[in-house]
Amino acid sequence: MDCVVELEIPARPEFVGIARMAVGALAGIRPGLAYERIDDLRIVVSEACTSAIEGLAGGGVLRVRCVDGPKSLEVRIQAPGSAFESAFPINEPDPEADNFRISLIRALVDDADLRSSGDHTELCLVMRREAASEEDGEGALPA
Amino acid sequence: MDLGLDVKERNGWAVLSVQGEVDVYTAPQFREQLIQLVDQGQRQILVDLEGVEFLDSTGLGVLVGGLKRVRSHDGDLALVCTQRRILKVLEITGLTKVFTIHDSVDAAVGGDGQG
Repeated sequence: MDCVVELEIPARPEFVGIARMAVGALAGIRPGLAYERIDDLRIVVSEACTSAIEGLAGGGVLRVRCVDGPKSLEVRIQAPGSAFESAFPINEPDPEADNFRISLIRALVDDADLRSSGDHTELCLVMRREAASEEDGEGALPA
Repeated sequence: MDLGLDVKERNGWAVLSVQGEVDVYTAPQFREQLIQLVDQGQRQILVDLEGVEFLDSTGLGVLVGGLKRVRSHDGDLALVCTQRRILKVLEITGLTKVFTIHDSVDAAVGGDGQG
């Protein structure tokens, strides 16, 4: 059964750590994501939120919706307007950081997809879970 | 979320030890510290990342900015890092080819392990 966790944070730098921490904690509840992959996800969530914050500049709210299923964890980060432009370089206020950001997002999650709707954009990140093994016990954080 | 920044001098190197999480919130302190070191005349800067628990592209941008700044004064900026999670970020972004990365401060500054 899928579990849905939703979080809203002000689009300000001091709140990025909260999104990162919440998604990281959720990712460890089910087996199938090793610690290293949870670290990867925390980095990508940080990159996505930072990108949206830079795009918004004047503030706003970021919605983080996690759908945690037995086979994958999907994290959707939704921001008003075209806030994710800097993640996909339509314009580049800081080309160096943006290039690093794109490299990290591409390398660290299984899928990353930008979706645009009338009044918001949404970055959808997917981490697929490996089949749980009774022997290795890898992945889940202790209950 | 606090970022710890501590500067010591070792064998002609300014050793900047960083502790905590480096992201969009804390990176400005880190950037300011590096700018300050260069402005004070430091030309050999060693950034010790062993105490860093998290580093994203914002932190990488600060490191690259620091390297450019000190190189423009004919200096150098090297790193100390053995943490797999940080090295992975440096590898993905190609920065392991840009920075000299040491296993320890002693190995970098050629010291005797004291002070």
